[in-house]
Amino acid sequence: MARDISSLVIDSLCDQEGKVDSAVVGLYCDFLIQQEQTVTNIMGTILKQLVGRGDIPKYLREAFQEAKKNFGGRGPRLPELMEMLRKAIASLPQVFICLDALDECLPKHLPDLLGSLRDIVRESPKTRIFLTGRPHVTGDIQRYFAMAIVIPISPNMDDIRSYLEMRLGRDSEPEAMNDDLRADILRVILERTSDM
Amino acid sequence: MGDGNIHSGNITSSFNSYFYKAGEDAEVMRWLSPLEPNNRHQGVRADRFDGVGNWILQTKEFREWRSREGGADEAVLFCSGNPGVGKTYLR
Repeated sequence: MARDISSLVIDSLCDQEGKVDSAVVGLYCDFLIQQEQTVTNIMGTILKQLVGRGDIPKYLREAFQEAKKNFGGRGPRLPELMEMLRKAIASLPQVFICLDALDECLPKHLPDLLGSLRDIVRESPKTRIFLTGRPHVTGDIQRYFAMAIVIPISPNMDDIRSYLEMRLGRDSEPEAMNDDLRADILRVILERTSDM
Repeated sequence: MGDGNIHSGNITSSFNSYFYKAGEDAEVMRWLSPLEPNNRHQGVRADRFDGVGNWILQTKEFREWRSREGGADEAVLFCSGNPGVGKTYLR
């Protein structure tokens, strides 16, 4: 559900992207690859998405070439990425950063991740950050963003109705279905769901 | 609700695609990060079904967050919920 919400919000932001020339970037965190989803890699992929829209900026090419000289090439370091991110964001009218399932990051990465996002927002106050996650990360987020707006996602009757209607529409035996039965099914399931 | 899923058309965005890069440009991209979120987004949105979550886009909180120009203090919008809520729960 939260993941669906993320993809919906990302698409919705992308729809306006063309109109107001904003950039929408982000990542779906995933506990299956949480070792790889380090703060450095997450900031790296945000920068990658931002600069990937056009020609590679000179400062990035130079940083890459410099890194290649050392020990056959080392990865970018976080402070270096943050500085390049600052430049990339400054060159755009507005940036939306979307991170789904924050709780699926390794807990030890969370403070650095939120701290890095706070640094971005302090440097570029127009940047908007969209996060989803289990309720237990609310406190972590509020430690870094005291004024964060929180929307709880709970079973929403409209969502459940949409889903049921979709499933009923795909019934494999449509001849066994009629309006009364359909209405009964919706009524009973929605009643029971609202009791949960 | 009611407008169905209006966002399911082809969209071009930095989230979904960046321009194809070759040679050193491709190397620079790989150097920045091994993570490729674009494919994941395509998978998630393909599984999404129409109408779910549209209410979020209509909330005052979302609309204000999206349109607010300045204000670093309120830069963050957090949707808090368990993965078992909603779609996954009903399956």
